[in-house]
Amino acid sequence: MPDIREQETIARKLLPIIYVLDTSGSMAGDRIAAVNTAMSETMEVLKDVSNNNPTAELKIGVLQFASGAKWITSNGFVYMDDFYWNDLKAGGLTDLGSALDELQSKLSRSAFLNSDVGYKVPVIIFMSDGGPTDDYEKALKKINETNKWFRASTKIAIAVGDEANVDVLQKIVGNQEAVIRVDDLESLKKLIRVVSVTASMIGSRSRTDSNSTGDIMDGVKGQMGDDIQTVDTSTTVPDTGDDPGNTPDDSDDPWGNADWD
Amino acid sequence: MVFETGKVIMTSFGEPITIDSYIAGGGQGDVYKVFYAGEKKALKWYKPGALKDPDAFYENLKKNTEKGSPDKAFLWPEAVTEKKDGSFGYIMNLRPDGYNELTNVLVTSGGGGFTSFKAVVEAAIKIVSAFRILHVRGYSYQDMNSGNFFINPRTGDVLICDNDNVAPNGTYTGIVGTPQYMAPEIVMGNAKPDTHTDEFSLAVVLFMLLCASHPLEGEHWVVPCLTPEIEKRLYGNDALFIFDPHDPSNRPVRGVHNNVLKRWDFLPQYMKEAFLEAFSREAITNPNKRVRELNWLKALVRFQSDIVRCSTCGNEIFITNASSTVCDRCNELYEVKNTLKLYEYSVTAAKNTRIYKCQLGVCNADEALTPVGLVVAKPDNPQVLGFRNMSKTIMIGTTPSGKVNQVQPGEVIPLKAGISIQVFDGTIEIQ
Repeated sequence: MPDIREQETIARKLLPIIYVLDTSGSMAGDRIAAVNTAMSETMEVLKDVSNNNPTAELKIGVLQFASGAKWITSNGFVYMDDFYWNDLKAGGLTDLGSALDELQSKLSRSAFLNSDVGYKVPVIIFMSDGGPTDDYEKALKKINETNKWFRASTKIAIAVGDEANVDVLQKIVGNQEAVIRVDDLESLKKLIRVVSVTASMIGSRSRTDSNSTGDIMDGVKGQMGDDIQTVDTSTTVPDTGDDPGNTPDDSDDPWGNADWD
Repeated sequence: MVFETGKVIMTSFGEPITIDSYIAGGGQGDVYKVFYAGEKKALKWYKPGALKDPDAFYENLKKNTEKGSPDKAFLWPEAVTEKKDGSFGYIMNLRPDGYNELTNVLVTSGGGGFTSFKAVVEAAIKIVSAFRILHVRGYSYQDMNSGNFFINPRTGDVLICDNDNVAPNGTYTGIVGTPQYMAPEIVMGNAKPDTHTDEFSLAVVLFMLLCASHPLEGEHWVVPCLTPEIEKRLYGNDALFIFDPHDPSNRPVRGVHNNVLKRWDFLPQYMKEAFLEAFSREAITNPNKRVRELNWLKALVRFQSDIVRCSTCGNEIFITNASSTVCDRCNELYEVKNTLKLYEYSVTAAKNTRIYKCQLGVCNADEALTPVGLVVAKPDNPQVLGFRNMSKTIMIGTTPSGKVNQVQPGEVIPLKAGISIQVFDGTIEIQ
């Protein structure tokens, strides 16, 4: 019998946690400072979460958008132990469409999502304090139509301050429950941490009967209390088309290996 | 909200609990070290809003404290607090040092502090025995997962936490379980937790503990994206054991599921058979066909006595058929000189081989692990083995020549072929 001390880490899926962060001019000053502080602290907490998550190992992606969009993790998603937060600087426009185009090109097995063990459904956390300055609708239509990873991912948006365009964020995350409004910076810092930690434990914790976005939102609300408002408007969110879960099975490939670009 | 040192909270019956320090926080609540009734204890305090139906939960918890712990393995709720600031908590024993969470054993490399497989099997026995007693008492645990088990890797002793969902069998507490451990009928949405779903979860825990891999995660798991829909099939509708004898499509994948690929072949046939039964198509689809705790206990105590150390290189060897077996590390033959013939099978008689009551025939749940005998070595000559009466009753020993002797509790008789021992309506034959 092989020595018990030769036991390897149990096989775990990779769970990408992707931050899509607004670094436009309006974020300059206290706001970007709060984001930097919160992200830096959150990354330390997530290291612990990743080491103790029984079903998934975390990988981090950070995409910033202002005048154009740029991956901070430009070589792919990064394992928690190898990730250190470098402070972001704010300035420029709010090119949300460019950010969606970047997601479109990198959420692919031939780009950032190559792996032998495979992934869990990515978590994408959007944060913005304004409204898009480019043609985000075209980019959103394209990514929703062609990128299965994006469609399947769990998407949550943080709307900072009064100027944040909540309607746009709702359209992007496709679920009005998953947009959280926050006004003061202390709450923003706490929210970044709470959303990140809750989302990174998804699928490994005890469950009640609900879906994953619902589980995350319940967890976030439970921990944030009155510090946040979840958006509850009568705006109808357009149906993004087919549900990735109901994609018909290819009989030669019943477990969906070929479905994922 | 965090309680400060010195803050006093009352139990439901008005006894004070004094906060000492914060220990840890989780999704559902926070745990504090407290002083209660003159002792150091742990207080779990729920976050307001963390529970689906807090009133029913509170009442159930209170009932559990009144009924008391079924087994010392459970860190059982001892008292509930009064309701305060929209929430409440409960008191339990502090977890002693030296215990490692099963999750940690699995997600770290190197075996999580275990140095011997015998201790792993001991932990498995402790877990099965605790759940057997819990189920006999009419409870179901509801949410078994790797986070509930704290194991002392040196001794294999087990402490079971998170007993706040434990409820009379058939009660729905609002929790359906933890992914990977839920029974397929729960994953499919056809059932709520009960003792039969516990039995499935228990089989998963045992497989994870012994093989450090998940029993349903093979090729089907290695998909590019494990969506909730695929998870539902993998653990529910299309659940398939990785060693299913009729369908090889979900075998473990080399380079990914290495632990189980290395270990499975070494497991004794009766352990493989127990897992094949526990994860058979029938047991997956029919909750009444799951492996019962007594059968796990019988297999595990047998397994434990079949694990010996190679006298040449110190490697652990799993003895096959209670007969001499070659060490897979140094290729030396481990010679089995004597065996003990029990009710259904024979085990290797090596130093530290233990015989329990469940190996002698039919027995009650709480008596399954009643010690019967232990193989000991002479302190001044380890080659000379004896059999110690570990029971509290007198055994009757009969020598090959027909001479009958009484063996008192604690007494040791020589381990000589031909001696037959009568105890608890059963027979142990030394061969």
